[in-house]
Amino acid sequence: MKRGDLLIIVIIATVALFFLVPRWLPGDESENNHNKLLTADITLNGKLYKTVELTKEEQIIEIKSERGTNVVKVHDYGIEMYDTDCPDKVCLTFGFIKKSKQSIICLPHRVMVEINGVQDVGDELDAVIN
Amino acid sequence: MPLSTEESTRMLKRTVIIAIFAAVAVVLSIVESIIPVNLQIPGAKLGLANIMILTCLYFLRGRDALMLVILKTIITAFIFGTFSSMLFSLFGSLFSFVVMFLVMKLGRNQVSLIGVSIVGGVGHNFGQITAASIVFQSSNIYYYMPLLLITGLVTGILVGIAVKYLVPSLTKLSLFEEFQINR
Repeated sequence: MKRGDLLIIVIIATVALFFLVPRWLPGDESENNHNKLLTADITLNGKLYKTVELTKEEQIIEIKSERGTNVVKVHDYGIEMYDTDCPDKVCLTFGFIKKSKQSIICLPHRVMVEINGVQDVGDELDAVIN
Repeated sequence: MPLSTEESTRMLKRTVIIAIFAAVAVVLSIVESIIPVNLQIPGAKLGLANIMILTCLYFLRGRDALMLVILKTIITAFIFGTFSSMLFSLFGSLFSFVVMFLVMKLGRNQVSLIGVSIVGGVGHNFGQITAASIVFQSSNIYYYMPLLLITGLVTGILVGIAVKYLVPSLTKLSLFEEFQINR
């Protein structure tokens, strides 16, 4: 080990922790979002395939294309890749996601699941009176 | 262009080394796919094949290592049948190769093989995520980058240690004898 090695290790670890630590801190967002449903966009080949609400009830969505099949499962306000016939199975390692901005991708099948911001109904204007 | 005997022996030796390394790298990829790693981090892998690429970069020229990277990627795509993601995998490997090459060239006296290997591991993950974000035209996938920085760091250190043990052993072989003189 030389000095340059330590420098590289320190730089990489610092950058990683800089982004990771705020996520570990107890944020207020999970509290606020408790009674609002998030939505997830499923895209296939860059085109929107379906938008689903992340409900507590279980939903199973099958995404079929000429490349293959992916099965995603919605439950407990989150979503996960449940099954696939793609060769590398990397999409199954994404696990269960339930936070905004998280995503699951299956590269061989060009399938992407992205959780979007809150479906906010309360903040919309009811009416404008002149 | 006629080559002297000495020159052509050297070229032949280089070719042989690249071929052997490519074979070993592919086998290491297969071994790696058998080992179950259940980290729940998408795209995280050991990167054992990088042992051969880094060793090649140490003994031979940059273009030889580049040849090895391309060969290894094509052969593994053939074996695993992952043609749809071959370009994507090539992007990661090439990016990893370029940063390792640069760090090795620029920081020869300051950085050891472990440092080069770390840069390669992290570079591979960065290259793959960037390729994915281009294909899907979404930057949300960078959400996983910090975690992959950490895994790249850890696997990079492990691979670097392996190369540190491999290089002195290979140096004892007569095939590698003439390639260490220019260091």
